[in-house]
Amino acid sequence: MSATESIVFVVDDDPSVRRAIKRLVESVGLQVAHFGSAQEFLRSERAAATSCLVLDVRLPGIGGLDFQRELAAANIRVPVIFITAHGDIPMTVRAMKAGAVEFLTKPFRDQDLLDAIHIALERDHTRRQREAEIATLRERFESLSAREREVVAMVVSGRLNKQIAAEIGTTENTVKVHRSRAMEKMQAESLADLVKMVERLETLPEKAS
Amino acid sequence: MSTRLTTVEPRTHQWHHMSRFEGVIAMATQPVGPQLRKTGIGVVGDVPWGTHFFMFYETKEDLLDTLVPYFKAGLEAGELCLWAVSDPLTVEDARDALRKAVPEFDRHLAHRSIEIVRGRQFYLSGNHPDLGRVMRTWAEKTDSALARGYAGLRVSGSTAWLERKYWNAFSDYEDEVNKFISSWRMTVLCTYPMAGSTAAEILDVTRTHQFAIARRNGGWEVVETSELKRAKSEIKRLNDELERRVVDRTRQLADVNEEMKREIIERQRAEEALQEAQADLARVRRALDMGELVATIAHEVNQPLTAIVTNGNFCLRRLESATRNLNEVKAAITEIVSDGSRASAVISRIRGLLTKGTLNRTELDINQMIQYATVLLRNELTANRVSLRTELACDLPRVPGDQVQLQQVLINLIINAIEATSRSTHGMREILIRSAKNPDGLLVQVQDSGPGIEAELANRIFEPFFTTKAKGIGMGLSISHSIIESHGGHLRTVPSSTGALFEFTLPADDAGVS
Repeated sequence: MSATESIVFVVDDDPSVRRAIKRLVESVGLQVAHFGSAQEFLRSERAAATSCLVLDVRLPGIGGLDFQRELAAANIRVPVIFITAHGDIPMTVRAMKAGAVEFLTKPFRDQDLLDAIHIALERDHTRRQREAEIATLRERFESLSAREREVVAMVVSGRLNKQIAAEIGTTENTVKVHRSRAMEKMQAESLADLVKMVERLETLPEKAS
Repeated sequence: MSTRLTTVEPRTHQWHHMSRFEGVIAMATQPVGPQLRKTGIGVVGDVPWGTHFFMFYETKEDLLDTLVPYFKAGLEAGELCLWAVSDPLTVEDARDALRKAVPEFDRHLAHRSIEIVRGRQFYLSGNHPDLGRVMRTWAEKTDSALARGYAGLRVSGSTAWLERKYWNAFSDYEDEVNKFISSWRMTVLCTYPMAGSTAAEILDVTRTHQFAIARRNGGWEVVETSELKRAKSEIKRLNDELERRVVDRTRQLADVNEEMKREIIERQRAEEALQEAQADLARVRRALDMGELVATIAHEVNQPLTAIVTNGNFCLRRLESATRNLNEVKAAITEIVSDGSRASAVISRIRGLLTKGTLNRTELDINQMIQYATVLLRNELTANRVSLRTELACDLPRVPGDQVQLQQVLINLIINAIEATSRSTHGMREILIRSAKNPDGLLVQVQDSGPGIEAELANRIFEPFFTTKAKGIGMGLSISHSIIESHGGHLRTVPSSTGALFEFTLPADDAGVS
């Protein structure tokens, strides 16, 4: 991951706090965009870069915890670091269960925040990478003809060329042609590679931002 | 009286209807007192007015043995006496016997206090018994006895004259006498000769009298008739019934009583529960108020603190790194200073909110508030085995103030005192609350038997967030102090020989309020 491509979003209703965090985070070479409320954040145009969200629990309008839930519902999968002036255990548990990276009590140690930001960015970077890979795979898969997809599906389920030929009513040679074309289009180096690719396509969610 | 007597029907020999005697009865009826009459007959003893009894006799001596003391007692008791004698006794026999027995007998005779007549003469009119007349005679005699100042009429009648053919009529007469005598001031002793009496006659006599005297084994005995036995058993039954009902009623009353006792206990429990609930509520409310306050303080103060710490850290990083940009550092430090002032302003604002923002002043009775606070905290006191004593002055002026806030101060001081006494390991756990007048208003003191306040802490205890309690947040005394100050009074500790002593003053007028 490249630091310059990463961006840290800060949502806190207190401008002083926002500015201080921006200053601190920028001092370690990260970009910062800050907002006074959840709505402001949602309205902003955000680049599809690796990012994380430093979120105050107590916000005007919708609170931080509810905002976290809304983000998840809207499939906005930005890792969240909560900061709060008075965190209690139930609040912390709720936030962490909903996938928060960290829950920091104000005033926090600067290193704790920076560590949490790094972890969050790493997590987001990994996710984005994985999603990019899947997008590529899907693209490749979508370039297959209907017959090729059919053959791939039977190949990965462990059937022999002969069996496939019998099933779709063609010759074994034709199956071999479909199969090698599909391997080529999918850029699979081996049968095992192809199986893995199909598995990933099947198990991972369709789309994410 | 005589005109009424004329209304009585002419007599007949066959009379079976009580209507014949109605006029007589109406006339002779007198209020019968409860006092008993001496019969003079040892075995009978005393009887009430309206007693109608009989004896069967064999000899003249039997008659004299009984009737002489009977009339002697009557004369001595101031009763008018009428003795109708029959065979074998003569009027002379009777008179002589009485003269021997009664000291001033002749005087009684002279006064006509006693009449001795021949039975035959008395009962018979010609050769037939005129029992209607006899009844009238009893009535007249009784009336005249009372009119002449006698206590009543004492009679003995004899039946020796009675011929068998009149027996049934006489028996009816006796029956009537027996029925109505109970309301007359009269006692009647009838004598029947045993000789020649048939069993049926004896039964009739027994039926028509209340009881009999009979000679048995050489002495006299009282024999109750079946009627009397019945009556007595009826009385006993009624008595038992009454007693049973009394017992029932008593038991019902006892049950009701028990029920009421239970209800009282129940009510007491409910009241205690209510008080506990109130105390709980007060505690919860206090905790909530405190919790909310703490949250507000935490948030409001933490925001600038977060900015300060973060900016400070940024400055340190910048100063330590090779790429110093002093302008950036300067900007950060400027914000640090401004956030510092902001934090301090937050504190002032909160204190201001607590003390001035919600003032709702009324005229307060501080003693009543002290008592209310002790009621609210009773549970807490008992749970910690702390005894609370109050010495409240009765001439206190009312003070203007915010009831909720001052109640908060009182509760706070008492809770502190409870906690302090609980910490003391020895001696009495005691709290004393005093109220007194002071020159410009009043003074309230709360003293505990706890370990007291260490001298070096004494001037810090009113600072916000200062606490010696394991779970305290250190706002109680600070807030209390602010509240009292805002009421124009002072809250302070006073050096004391035992435990801690807090006192506050409140002015009686608003002069001291800023």
